[in-house]
Amino acid sequence: MPNLLIEPPYRTYVLTLRDVRKTFGKTVAVDGLSLSVRKGEILGLLGPNGAGKSTSVSLSVGLLAPDAGSVVIDGNLDPAKPEVRQKIGVAPQALALYDALSGEENLRFFGEMYGLSGAVLDQRVTWCLEFVGLTDRKKDLAGGYSGGMKRRLNLAAALIHDPQLLLLDEPTVGVDPQSRNKIFESIEELHQQGRTIIYTTHYMEEAERLCDRIAIIDAGKLLALGTLSELLAAHGGPPMLMVKTNGEERRTQTADPLGELNRVAATTTIEAFQMEKPTLEQVFLRLTGRSLRD
Amino acid sequence: MKQMIALAVKDMRILLRNKGRIFFTFIWPIIVTVLFGLAFGGNNDGAQGKVKLALIDEDNTDGSRAFAKAIEESFELTPMNRADAENAVRRGQRTGYIVLTPGFGIASERMFYGQPKEIELGVDPARRAEKGMIEGLLLKHASEDMQHLFTDPNASSKMVDKALGEMKDAPPDQVASVQKFLGELKAFVNTPQPQSAASPQAQWQPLKIVAKDVSRQRSGEPDNAFEITFPQGVIWGLIGCMMTFGISLVSERTRGTFVRLRIAPVTRAQILGGKALACFVSILFVQVILFTIAWNFGVRPTSFVMLIVACVSAAICFVGFMMLVAGLGRTEETAAGAAWAVLMPLAMFGGAMVPTFVMPQWMQSLGYISPVRWAMLAIEGGVWRNFSVAEMALPCAILISVGVVCFAFGTRALKEA
Repeated sequence: MPNLLIEPPYRTYVLTLRDVRKTFGKTVAVDGLSLSVRKGEILGLLGPNGAGKSTSVSLSVGLLAPDAGSVVIDGNLDPAKPEVRQKIGVAPQALALYDALSGEENLRFFGEMYGLSGAVLDQRVTWCLEFVGLTDRKKDLAGGYSGGMKRRLNLAAALIHDPQLLLLDEPTVGVDPQSRNKIFESIEELHQQGRTIIYTTHYMEEAERLCDRIAIIDAGKLLALGTLSELLAAHGGPPMLMVKTNGEERRTQTADPLGELNRVAATTTIEAFQMEKPTLEQVFLRLTGRSLRD
Repeated sequence: MKQMIALAVKDMRILLRNKGRIFFTFIWPIIVTVLFGLAFGGNNDGAQGKVKLALIDEDNTDGSRAFAKAIEESFELTPMNRADAENAVRRGQRTGYIVLTPGFGIASERMFYGQPKEIELGVDPARRAEKGMIEGLLLKHASEDMQHLFTDPNASSKMVDKALGEMKDAPPDQVASVQKFLGELKAFVNTPQPQSAASPQAQWQPLKIVAKDVSRQRSGEPDNAFEITFPQGVIWGLIGCMMTFGISLVSERTRGTFVRLRIAPVTRAQILGGKALACFVSILFVQVILFTIAWNFGVRPTSFVMLIVACVSAAICFVGFMMLVAGLGRTEETAAGAAWAVLMPLAMFGGAMVPTFVMPQWMQSLGYISPVRWAMLAIEGGVWRNFSVAEMALPCAILISVGVVCFAFGTRALKEA
């Protein structure tokens, strides 16, 4: 396994976890995790249920203190400090909203929690509502919003104080394709604005579409980290060659598909063939196994 | 502080948008205060709204008896001797007493001359409104007596005959004086003159009321049923606020908003402080509403200062309870279930459901383990028990101590959760 920790200078990284360990009783949630997030990138955090993703997010924002190791945010060793938290925005997986408040009131309240007031608060609320496409429904109670609208408001609440580091914990769970697309567009726009985003998801296609780099963790350990092509190259295995001869379909995993195709053609007539490149899902399953996680 | 206030405002806004919570926090305590107060006998001023007065008829003539009968239309009268009447007013059993003084009957038969009929009225000086109402009603009945003299020929004739009769026995020089007076009167009435406000005619009244202050001894018994139900209503308001904000804090945890707040640059103390502030302000708001209603039903605290101290102490206690409920409850359901399971017996033995003085002695003694009992005692101490500072110190110290301990346990449980 390569050394995945990229050493300081920390200023090139917005977030660095170094040999972080966290246990709950006898359960080891995070086991010596080391991970650095570059400024302006989207880092996908993939892992099965119970892999330690949420604990890692909680450690990153200072909600939990590590038993060992360190968390550095923008050069600061204490993520719980108010000035550090000012730089972080979190959209939790649970819809952390007040149903009895309108969309606008929710954003206004969370803005006040970050010390915003007056014209600045007005401006940020207006921008956030516009950004997630909820301006027309800003006066409606959040309790009356659809699942997709709530997800968008959840994202807006994470953006209200204009943070540089965003932690999005499964931001598209339970939303319709339109809202999902809107969330994707919003995240891509935030990326273009230069914000750093940690994106936790179970959906491989989301990670493939949005993330610059992907980290796969399981049992509290980092199993792999890299760009999609790096992960595929390192852990995807050879492509799958499918050849149809004499009405029969034969599948062969080979690092030299052209050579294999020529070998088959030399002995029989090929009716059809197809080559499948490895996918992120295959990488994920290869690294984390196929056993069910509850 | 700004963030704490924003948190408190948010919580109160959410409270005011939940009809169920509004009912249990604001409406139910009002129902307890008003409906139960009416059911338990109201303000002791008579079932038909008549003011209860003690009557001392020292004149004991036809005139005084007729007047007493006439004013029964407006007052619930109980004949007593002077000592018993004063005592009844002091103990709050009667709003006041009236004495029909000697000569009342004779004075009733005169008009525009001589001394008017006189009534002594004894009322607690704190009950100014009732005193004004009683005086007004007495004057109304006295005026009706005059009207009766004018409109009833027999009564008028009797009055003239009485005047003439009094002249027969007068010495000759007085008869001459009266004749001279009548001559001058004739000349006077034929010459229109501006009437002076200070003239004897202007000062003549059909009834002279001599007021006497009889300060009520405010201890031992409540004055009316609302003095019992007002503290009970306050207790239900305290319980309602405690449950509302305690469960809302559990909801914050289960719904994830607590995490979002914890990620914001606000401390745990600020978050919990905001919740406590919202609960505290709501409790005070409920108490003010209930007191305003109770005031309109005749509740007059023996000491405003003591009542305020009691209400604030009770509020601190229940804010602490709120935090404990929030800390121990893992879900809204378990928090509500556990809180009600503990609070119902505490409320029952504490006197929030049934007044403690109707309970058997062993239940009254058992009630002292309940903070509800101490809250009731403190509030009653300000309303009708007339507690001294020393007497008020014990229940208030207990309430504040319980509140602080519960708050500490609750915040610790929240931290561990």
